[in-house]
Amino acid sequence: MGREEILARIRSALSDRPHAQADNAALDERMAMRPAGPAVHFDGDLLPRFIAKSLANHFTLERIASMQLLVPAIRALLPADETPDISVAQALDHVGWPPEWTINRGAGRPVERLSVTLAYAGIAETGSIVMRSGADSPTTLNFLPDLHVVVLHASDVVRYPEDVWRRMDVSAAAWPRSVNVISGPSRTADVGGTIVRPAHGPKSVQLIIIDD
Amino acid sequence: MGARAHGFRDRASEALADANLQRSIASLKDGFVAARARAVAELPEFEAMREAGAAIKDHTLANLDHYLLRYEAEVVKRGGHVHWANDAEEACRIVRDICHRVGAKTVTKGKSMVSEEIGLNAALEADGLEVLETDAGEYIVQLAKEAPSHIVMPTIHKTTRQIADLFHEHHQRYGFTERVEDAAELIGQVRSVLRSKFFAADVGVTGANFLVAETGSNVIVTNEGNGDLTSTLARVHIVTAGIEKVVPTLNDTAVLLRLLARSALGMDVTSYVTYATGPRRPDDLDGPEEYHVVLIDNGRTKMLAGAIRPMLRCIRCGACMNHCPVYLSVGGHAYGGVYPGPMGAVLMPMISGHDKAQELPHACTLNGRCQQVCPVKIPLPDLLRRLRHEQWEEGFIRGKSRWGITAWAWLATRPVLYHRLTKLIVALAGLAGRSRGRFHRLPLASGWTDDRDMPAPQATTFHAAWAKAKRQR
Repeated sequence: MGREEILARIRSALSDRPHAQADNAALDERMAMRPAGPAVHFDGDLLPRFIAKSLANHFTLERIASMQLLVPAIRALLPADETPDISVAQALDHVGWPPEWTINRGAGRPVERLSVTLAYAGIAETGSIVMRSGADSPTTLNFLPDLHVVVLHASDVVRYPEDVWRRMDVSAAAWPRSVNVISGPSRTADVGGTIVRPAHGPKSVQLIIIDD
Repeated sequence: MGARAHGFRDRASEALADANLQRSIASLKDGFVAARARAVAELPEFEAMREAGAAIKDHTLANLDHYLLRYEAEVVKRGGHVHWANDAEEACRIVRDICHRVGAKTVTKGKSMVSEEIGLNAALEADGLEVLETDAGEYIVQLAKEAPSHIVMPTIHKTTRQIADLFHEHHQRYGFTERVEDAAELIGQVRSVLRSKFFAADVGVTGANFLVAETGSNVIVTNEGNGDLTSTLARVHIVTAGIEKVVPTLNDTAVLLRLLARSALGMDVTSYVTYATGPRRPDDLDGPEEYHVVLIDNGRTKMLAGAIRPMLRCIRCGACMNHCPVYLSVGGHAYGGVYPGPMGAVLMPMISGHDKAQELPHACTLNGRCQQVCPVKIPLPDLLRRLRHEQWEEGFIRGKSRWGITAWAWLATRPVLYHRLTKLIVALAGLAGRSRGRFHRLPLASGWTDDRDMPAPQATTFHAAWAKAKRQR
């Protein structure tokens, strides 16, 4: 509808630029180079920084030595007298879930006590985790549960968000529908300025870091 | 909405007398201003980041046609649709047509200031659709049939008690029969009421903090998680965004996000930053079947063409209003438009026209704090002065103001006469006000003396005092 009119007005507004048209080659080069801005400087190893920042973001956190210890770690998060009914991202199918547990391997449900997902990366600068949507990681599992459990390999912690983008394939075929950078439980301060957790999303986010 | 901006003076007077409002706004001064100052002090790179942020936006704006086309191509490549709207009416029509085509009954909405700007809710409701704001703050102002009074904190004008009354009135039908005043319980009601609505929605509308040309993504920055439930659970996701929201790359969003969270909330990060791109992929277990973006001009190309272009750098953090003595005295509703505070005083005349927002560029003391805290260095006071000048040139300033300014300008360009006359006035006024040192009333100055006294001059002009001091040196 308004496409050609808007573009014409933009070009007329920019008529003072050196070239009548945008210098497409130079702009494509900038896009390909993807220049980074000033970084938040910090010293030291990535993992201690990531852990300190994620705790400041109100994540809770546990470190385990291997994926074999994941099932007991999840079991411990639920009341002992209750047979678990949880949602698990298919990325964690191979973990060996007890057959007596009720496990939803699909998208999130309207009432969702606990979900377990696998993070694509962690960001040390901000203590954030990065979730990448796909068949093995439905987005709703990040937002519907009361308790969101995120499994993160220690080796997947990178320094900056720019490092996440460098690792990801941005091409149309590979780029996911949704990339969620998560830095804490859901919260709001819309009633009287008081911070309340949760708002619409998880009340708590438990990180389980696998020290591999 | 713009039409309400006519009565800024009346609304400001009402706001000053509203004790609840005054208490609510005071929390901004203590909370957000201090938090931002701490966050900035902790980051030695902040100043360099402001430069980088402004440069990214300037570069994009200088090549806006290129980046919008690149963005559009990437959205289409990833299965989405891009629509272009010249103005508010076209934008609403595009959204209404999509809703109509997919047989929508219920529309959920994440927070989107541009959707407020185009009046989307009213347009959809006129078609018989149920439209539900899902951000807790937006939900509250929608229930109260009010407009947001701050672009980041829509309910900053409401006390907990008022919200408790509102929910007690509207939530009994959901089984919440008791009136509660606890913030956590009140938010718990919002969560419970809206959870099923997310699943029932046919269309989910969100805004965009940024559009990424590199990947065709829209970025939303939130804390509640409602935006993601809106965009993921509805059958159709529609993004409403101004054309100035595009940036070239993912790395550019990293620079701007560092500025945004610190400037808006005084925090390093928000709980959620989401890059949403296109509809669900063939293997996906969730996500919308359709993905649409409505790119909205509505006055933005006019800003691009002229001296107001730097305003298009704005990333909607709200720091300018949090630091504005006028906003902090009268709150957001006094501005009468969608965007309040310094950024609103520039945007509203450009979006609605000078005739609809004439008073806003004058609701400013030119103290400059907004420019000092702006994360992308928008010279807001200069832009406001520029708009005042435009209003003068285009004849929007009339009556006593025009006559007074014309007379003063005539006098100010005649230095000899000016000095003699001011010397005389100052001497007479000094004499008249000698006993009390101040005046309760002055002719032609009731706007000042109605609310406070005018100090009496010291019986000598600045020029005379200066000349005397020079002689004594």
